Amino acid sequence: MSKLYQTKHELYLSITFASFAINDETIKSRLYEFSLIAFRHMKWIGRAVLESGNDYNYDRKMTLYKRNDVFEILNALKEEIIAFEMINSEDILGERIRTDDEYLLQYLSEVLKNETNNTPVTAFNMKREWLDKNLAQEQIDALTLFLFEESYKEYELILVYAFMQARTNNVTQYDVFQDLIDESHFHLKSFGNMMAKMGILALPRELHEMTYVVKDLEKFVVDGIAEEEAAKVMCKELSDAIKDEELSKFFDFINYQESYHIELMKRLL
Amino acid sequence: MEKIQVPEGMNAEVIEHLMYPKNYGKLDAPNCIGIAMDEKTNEYVIFYSLIDGDIVKDVSYATNGCQDTVVVGSMFTDMIKGETVEYAHGAIEKMGEKLGVMTPQQQICAEMVLNAFVASMMNLENLAKGEEEEVHILKMKESCEVPEEGEKNE
Repeated sequence: MSKLYQTKHELYLSITFASFAINDETIKSRLYEFSLIAFRHMKWIGRAVLESGNDYNYDRKMTLYKRNDVFEILNALKEEIIAFEMINSEDILGERIRTDDEYLLQYLSEVLKNETNNTPVTAFNMKREWLDKNLAQEQIDALTLFLFEESYKEYELILVYAFMQARTNNVTQYDVFQDLIDESHFHLKSFGNMMAKMGILALPRELHEMTYVVKDLEKFVVDGIAEEEAAKVMCKELSDAIKDEELSKFFDFINYQESYHIELMKRLL
Repeated sequence: MEKIQVPEGMNAEVIEHLMYPKNYGKLDAPNCIGIAMDEKTNEYVIFYSLIDGDIVKDVSYATNGCQDTVVVGSMFTDMIKGETVEYAHGAIEKMGEKLGVMTPQQQICAEMVLNAFVASMMNLENLAKGEEEEVHILKMKESCEVPEEGEKNE
């Protein structure tokens, strides 16, 4: 079961980052919906693992390859889903996951039938350009580093909160963790799409268990609040540095969301 | 803006290390493990080494630290893999020469990577002496947390 969990984790990331990499808004949006379904699969498989008295971790063995066009991404994704089906379980949860994945395969086949969908992928070209914005090199550099830092941080938060959520019987904690997970999904999506737009899309690095096995919740929350404060400072710096009204407003918006995360986290104390 | 920098600016090599950090994650069969820990920020670098005689046969690292740490860890592990242990000890200095001027925070990130490697060597020594030590931990003397104005970095 823990192998199943790891493979689903990898598949969740593959669908998510395929969504980020593809420019077509309809395919992007559809894949993102499937990625959230895959994340729920992860959650349910994790629950089954724990209920069976075993445990899972966030180890993974995957690479996000630089693909040149949409069909390369979708064909690789198809292969990964088919490989997952080979190890999927035979129980009710396995059946649910299988029907979801088969529907996704059907969707991918439909997209792959239409050659006009096969557009070039620019998400990995490392050009670091924002075509409709006039950003100075210094602003591009600051934005680049911010996106690497924060995309990792959001992925880390999603997994750490999910790990703790799976292990609490406290309803308030469960509810707060869910809110924080949902918020981090939105931030990861926003930052991932921005990275793709700049040609620097990359997987967040793998989490080590020293990061996600939390022994002292109170200390974790206090440190987490300090990290949210630091993220707010970075957002504010970036918002001030980027002389573009639309981007600047976006980072202010993220900044206010971080403020509310702090309030949510205080409820865990 | 001063706080958000990476070594050597944003050149293609640094971007490559950010997108695809080298030797990142756990090593399948290390014979020693070290951790450098910044207790103030809870940031850590864990270093897995496979040492054969005097040769660093394989290495990997993981961190919850900033992107500076990721880039330095990626460059450092890439430099020392297949080299002698002695070379590895001097590699951070060589890397410093390559990178040019680093901010104090970046220097601490680099020290953290080196300390994690040193900790793994100490783990190897302790294991050779027959001690039972899963991992050797070195606490950082300096934190990479930016001190507030007037506050000293202890």
